[in-house]
Amino acid sequence: MVVSPVLLIAVPLLLAFIAPLCGKAAKYIPPAGALFNLILSVILIPTVLKSPMIVSIGGFPPPFCINLFVGPLGIFFAALISLAGFLISIYALSYIRERAVGKYHTLYLLLLTGATGVVLTGDIFNLFVFYEILCISSYALTAHNAHWHRHGTEAAVKYLIQGSVGSAFILLAIGMLYGFFGTLNMADLAKHIARAHSSVLFIPLTFFIAGFGVEAAIFPLNAWLPDAHSVSPAPISAIFSGIAIEIGVYAIMRVVFTLFGAPLSVMSVLLIVGLLTLLVGEICAFRQNNIKRMSAYSSIGQIGLIVFAFGLATKSGITAGLFQITSHALSKILLFLTIGYMIYSIRMKNYPDKYVTEIEINSLNGLGKKMPLTSLGFAIAAFSLIGFPPFIGFSSKLLIVKAALLKGGIYAVLMGIALIATVIEGAYFLKVVQGIYFRKGEVEGIKENNVFILVPFFILAALIIFAGIYPGILTKILNSSSGELLNRIGYIGRLPG
Amino acid sequence: MTLKILLLTAFGGAFVTYFLGKVSSKLRNYFAVFVSLTLFVAVACLYGKSAENFSYFKFFGNTLVLRVNSLSWFFAAAVSAFGALSVIFSLDYMKGKENLDFYYMMMLLVNAAMLGIVFAADLVSFFVFWEIMSWSTFLLISYSGKNALPAGIKYIVMSLIGSMAMFFGILSIYVNFHTLIISEIARGIVSASSGYKIFILVLFGVTFGIKSAVMPLHTWLPDAYTESPTPFSAVLSGMLTRMGVYGFLLFFYVVAGASFFFDIDAGISKFNYILCWLGAITIVIPTFIAMLQNDAKKLLAWHGIGQGGYMILGIAFGTSLGLAGGILHTLNYSICIVLLFMSVGAVEYRCGGVRDLNSLGGLIKKMPVAFAGALLGISGLIGLPLTNSFVSKWLIYKTLILKSHPFLAFAALIGTWGTILSVYKFLHNNFLGELPEKYENIRKSPVSMQIPIIILSSAILLFGILPGIPLKVINTIITSFGFNSLNVNLWGIASETGTLNTINIFTAILIAGSVIWMLFRVGKKSFPVTQDDNYAAGAYVPAGKYNYTADFYAPLFKIVKPYLMDFADKFFGWLCRVFTGFSEGVRKIYAGDVGYYVLYILFFAALLFFVQSGGKSW
Repeated sequence: MVVSPVLLIAVPLLLAFIAPLCGKAAKYIPPAGALFNLILSVILIPTVLKSPMIVSIGGFPPPFCINLFVGPLGIFFAALISLAGFLISIYALSYIRERAVGKYHTLYLLLLTGATGVVLTGDIFNLFVFYEILCISSYALTAHNAHWHRHGTEAAVKYLIQGSVGSAFILLAIGMLYGFFGTLNMADLAKHIARAHSSVLFIPLTFFIAGFGVEAAIFPLNAWLPDAHSVSPAPISAIFSGIAIEIGVYAIMRVVFTLFGAPLSVMSVLLIVGLLTLLVGEICAFRQNNIKRMSAYSSIGQIGLIVFAFGLATKSGITAGLFQITSHALSKILLFLTIGYMIYSIRMKNYPDKYVTEIEINSLNGLGKKMPLTSLGFAIAAFSLIGFPPFIGFSSKLLIVKAALLKGGIYAVLMGIALIATVIEGAYFLKVVQGIYFRKGEVEGIKENNVFILVPFFILAALIIFAGIYPGILTKILNSSSGELLNRIGYIGRLPG
Repeated sequence: MTLKILLLTAFGGAFVTYFLGKVSSKLRNYFAVFVSLTLFVAVACLYGKSAENFSYFKFFGNTLVLRVNSLSWFFAAAVSAFGALSVIFSLDYMKGKENLDFYYMMMLLVNAAMLGIVFAADLVSFFVFWEIMSWSTFLLISYSGKNALPAGIKYIVMSLIGSMAMFFGILSIYVNFHTLIISEIARGIVSASSGYKIFILVLFGVTFGIKSAVMPLHTWLPDAYTESPTPFSAVLSGMLTRMGVYGFLLFFYVVAGASFFFDIDAGISKFNYILCWLGAITIVIPTFIAMLQNDAKKLLAWHGIGQGGYMILGIAFGTSLGLAGGILHTLNYSICIVLLFMSVGAVEYRCGGVRDLNSLGGLIKKMPVAFAGALLGISGLIGLPLTNSFVSKWLIYKTLILKSHPFLAFAALIGTWGTILSVYKFLHNNFLGELPEKYENIRKSPVSMQIPIIILSSAILLFGILPGIPLKVINTIITSFGFNSLNVNLWGIASETGTLNTINIFTAILIAGSVIWMLFRVGKKSFPVTQDDNYAAGAYVPAGKYNYTADFYAPLFKIVKPYLMDFADKFFGWLCRVFTGFSEGVRKIYAGDVGYYVLYILFFAALLFFVQSGGKSW
């Protein structure tokens, strides 16, 4: 018997509440927890690839208890979350120094717990609970700067309001399903829904999409995102962009594919919504002067591409979507972290007594000479997001276009439109790259010398390049993950008892 | 195996150069020259070899393959030769500039990527190398900062549009024919419908049209050529832009197949003629716009567009003669333009970065090598007999006449006329006329600049007198496309309507030249005058009073200027403004009022509800 996947949720949850007791040492808790999760999930991958693990909690047989369903998809996400969580927490070791430091670490671990819980659970209400843990810690983390300026609070409140509307929808949907079928176990629900001939089932489905859509930042439910991502400190922006919104996408896809069997009408809507999200996000990013807002809008665009890929509802489409999630997570985290370090250095030089988390693009001019490694990291992340080879973004774009063309017809046309977004992306990211390297700026006295901050850059950049050249290392787990999403019967069949 | 090692050397060399630069800048320079020369030698050694489908990598389960054949050898040899020459040229030109480690790395990286493009035998490798070339070019164009930055953005945006079209096309081919290997696609595509073929060719046509700056898609080029560091302008004009020509050849004749042009279908034959006419327009308009330029590099840049038209014209015709002309002109033009950019570079280097044709002049005695280079370069561009381009232009004219296309031939002739006017301005305003006083103390160009200039000048004459050297290779290229072999020998070409014999021309010119020389010898003794000994309309002009180089062609300007607007550039500029305005509008969606945001959520839910209920709830 291998170690139980329950630990993936339990350990960070426990550590989250131990952290405040540790005083000064609290900052070492998140890296430790995330590293534990990373190792555990990597160990579990071979087992899970053979057959999914079902863990019942509380001793009752499902569907009467809460159970975990650790399939390839879940373990893939768990590994991604813990990898991102680990690298970002190393970065945060020296980045988060001011004010609510203790609370930060607790909330950060809770966020990881929530995200891991959402992807591993096999119970819809449990999923909602973890989702709320994720969201509520996100609201609080958004306001991390509230002591310093009111933007943090404002963004957090806006996020809270929209997030609550979304959560209300989800709760309503869960209530309806429980009312119809008397069960909350997802496999059980899927079985019932597959048999039901009810004409009202579209109502919970609609509510689920609208509810999870807020966190997944699909258009037009994503208005909270640019504010929240830009005012929060860099590690938070990174985890929001790299992990949190992807969890929203996961939740939508889990519900749509596993519970409802991906009806064509929903998938077409998701496809169109994905395309709109992509275009609107990139177009808005194009006109931003604030570097973090620009990256935030770019996240919207990337999420649109992910949803678009899932909307194809084919195996290759889902695999491509998952690949794009990986590629976006790695690249966007690197992007936000490098931007964060640049902002931090500029702030330390220019306004040491002010707390600045956002900055105009022009202020980065000329940093290429003073912060060569950070700038290189930024350039690699930007190139990967645009989709230049040999970075990972190229592989994921290749898979998405291929999946759309395999489906052919109107999907190919829509893909053609989606590619326009790449051009826009290129235009705004490369302008920043030019500014950093080839413009003159007032950058005297700026240095990069913090090893804890540079190590995550190095690891992320190495991963981006390595996975860009050898994308084959990901195909096995991604293929089984997409298989899991499409194999609804298999999911139901895993229901013990 | 050799190809893999060659590409590894090319890419590895680029990165090693960067790190060597951290140790010593001398070492870095020597290493860069060494790498580029090694590549040239290695490519040269591949001459005559033809190895198909050599797999080197797995990507998503697809085997990526490399190959060498006459087509790729021809381009690879040119790429590595021009690459090596411009690296040598950089040694002095770039001395003292900042970020040199980066500069040399990128120069070698662009070279490596271009070698990758021509050796790629599958479409994914092709695309990967193509994109690496695009972004490294972007970084090099932006290198100089200031004005170079918008030029870089313009380049990369257009390049991305092209790449996305190609990306779509490549994957469409992959999905339809289940293979990425070019030779297999070529076999598969025979059975494709002509509609699909046109679709694919339009997609790739856009890509390569942008790269080789065919007329409405040329707008990135003038700025990019002008703003890049001059040695890179040479690479850009010499080979990088011509990757578009390589792409055209590859996709029209290897992938789509030569039969595509011969099994003339009413619908398809038009495609070919559209391209011919675009080529003709590309010849005429830019050469006249070139005349209006006062920046030496910009003048050359517009020629870069114009001469590209000849290549497209020759290639799009799809006859042995035209194709040979198009391919040969690619090489010949590249030699000339690289040489010209290097002459400008030499002048610029010595005159403190001045390229303004209104303020230079009279440098002939100060910089004789640069002058000789420029003279041969412009003769080549015009296509004077005994220079290389004479042969390629002869082939192209011959094709147009044989195929009875008087209008296209006329366009080509007008283009030559425009070329003469504008390159004369170039030569005169740089080297002839009166020497401005401030340039009294100009020294000769450094040796590292003279070497490439001398090599290229000799190449112009060599290929002009013995055109058989490149034509032999080109002949194997066109036979590999399935065309009839041309009757080529070392000093010319025989065709059904006339024979070109450059040795005869050479002898004739030699004899005429010696007769003239003799006449001068026996006639009145000449005496040397100083450069300031000038007369205007019979009146003596005091030294330094007039500079003939200012406002060259002013009256002609007034006549032609209204007709020579760059409409494409205006149109794209307008498009950008419209898009900017539009995105400003879209941005307003996120107005900042959370009340609206909640409404969005509710509306979205309602819309979804409506769609999912199939409209029943209406």
